[in-house]
Amino acid sequence: MIVDVNAYLGHFAFRLLRHNTAASLLALMDSKQIDKAVVSSASAITYRNAQAGNEEVVEEVRGHGDRLIPFAVINPFYAGWQDDLKICHEEFGMTGLRLYPKWHNYQLSSPCCRELVNAATERGMVISIPIRVEDNRQRSWLLNVPDVPLEEIVELVKAHPKGRFILLNGIGYTGCPLGRKDNGLPSNYAIELSRLSAVLANELGQLIANLGAERVMFGTGMPFNYPDPALVKLEVLDASEADKEKIRSQNAMTWLRL
Amino acid sequence: MAIPKITSGPPIPQPRISRRTFLKGSAATAVAIGVATLPLACAAVEKPVPGTSNNRLPKGKVIDCHAHLTHRSRTTWEADDRKLIEAADKLGIDQLCCSILTPRRPATAEGFQECNRWTADGIRRFPDRVLGYCYVNPGYGREALEEIRRCVVDRGFIGIKLYNEYTCTEPVVFPIVELAIELGVPILQHASHSHYFVDDQPRMSDGGHLAELSRRYPKAMLICAHISGGGDWEWTIKVLRHAPNVLLDTSGSVTDEGTVEMAAAVVGVDRLVFGCDSSMTAGVGKIRGANLSAQDKQKILSGNMTRLLRRGKL
Repeated sequence: MIVDVNAYLGHFAFRLLRHNTAASLLALMDSKQIDKAVVSSASAITYRNAQAGNEEVVEEVRGHGDRLIPFAVINPFYAGWQDDLKICHEEFGMTGLRLYPKWHNYQLSSPCCRELVNAATERGMVISIPIRVEDNRQRSWLLNVPDVPLEEIVELVKAHPKGRFILLNGIGYTGCPLGRKDNGLPSNYAIELSRLSAVLANELGQLIANLGAERVMFGTGMPFNYPDPALVKLEVLDASEADKEKIRSQNAMTWLRL
Repeated sequence: MAIPKITSGPPIPQPRISRRTFLKGSAATAVAIGVATLPLACAAVEKPVPGTSNNRLPKGKVIDCHAHLTHRSRTTWEADDRKLIEAADKLGIDQLCCSILTPRRPATAEGFQECNRWTADGIRRFPDRVLGYCYVNPGYGREALEEIRRCVVDRGFIGIKLYNEYTCTEPVVFPIVELAIELGVPILQHASHSHYFVDDQPRMSDGGHLAELSRRYPKAMLICAHISGGGDWEWTIKVLRHAPNVLLDTSGSVTDEGTVEMAAAVVGVDRLVFGCDSSMTAGVGKIRGANLSAQDKQKILSGNMTRLLRRGKL
């Protein structure tokens, strides 16, 4: 069983994405033997009204609930986000969120965001945060969206010990408290591996040693990314089969209550 | 934005293959891409193992056209070099075309000469695994040219590495290119194209510069470095369409889906060379994931680079 906690549906404003419908993403997953994927709207990253993207996703995954697990993109600075959260959770059955503080231009420490995190946590929702969407060097001439600084994530997980966070598309965790052993932080976050090195610096191996394999999850970033690099990481990773199984699926299944 | 269609349909489910050194094994890729003519030995499938990338690559040599050994100012250089070879072993990479760069640029003559001595030592320490690029700063004129001759003629280096000291269309670079033509070796040119000014690399070359250089020197063998870590890769691929003597190196940390297929569609698969530039699983994973035939992947993995290196010897 492989569960990908980092997948998307829909269009991205600045680059053509293939395999971005439910049918084509499932075909790609089949070809890689990825069983389930957490998906959110790529369009909602740049839609002003992110809820329109959530509505597209919920339509797209209809009939594929056994394999595609929809997450909601919520912008806590946009009108009606409380209604959107309620609809996404109660009507759409979305069990988690994806937050884009830099793309949506707010601070994770802002009162609105804190309110959203508290509301989602009360609902038992998982909150995932892509540290980046794409490599900043290839950004459009229209905008310059920085990565989410890991220091801001540190403050977030400290401020919400009951929250459950999955950090996506990140790197450099071992250079900050998030990836260090005995860091004094709550164990309320997990790290997805798509950008982590598995050879040379081997940050993936370091994170397993420092935090435990229970805190690492498999993800690809498809269809933004080829899924294969993430699969290759698992292949070459020096870890026990039991630890690999946790990373491949067990941790995500536990967190997502699948 | 007009991007060529590069797939005809969704990928086809494939059996999973378990062998760890996947680049040397069987080619389930053939199943995915509908290639029915592979030898039987290449279609062998073992018991599936979850969490593997099942788009195996064809059996054949694999050459990483863009690698680096570690500068010896780093105390862990020896262990780091060994890690590079171990990573190559794990990933089935047979040979790595390596340079060593000075930690700070512009490099001095003493700086690049020292780097090249260490690269030569790396070739000795890892025989038949490490091939050498001679790194120079073209601004040093005669000393740079002498260093290239020493490295290529006396030490058996296979090419020249140019970084960002000068944009490759500046006249100071021309004697380097002319010597590369004379010696029959390729130039791997550090390159990137971003839609903003890169403050810390004001003389960065991009694909457009390489295209211009290729028009001036149609006999030069040029390699545009890391299209997957050099800014807007779609721009780079398109600007190099009409530059037949520029090859595109697939290395870099960016793993954007469709990159390799677009490059193959626009410039042709014969102009793509596999590389990692230290992003090892990204480099391998991109080629595995690309929706190309096993034969085309083999060209990228080593065929094109081998052809380039042989061409220089003719």
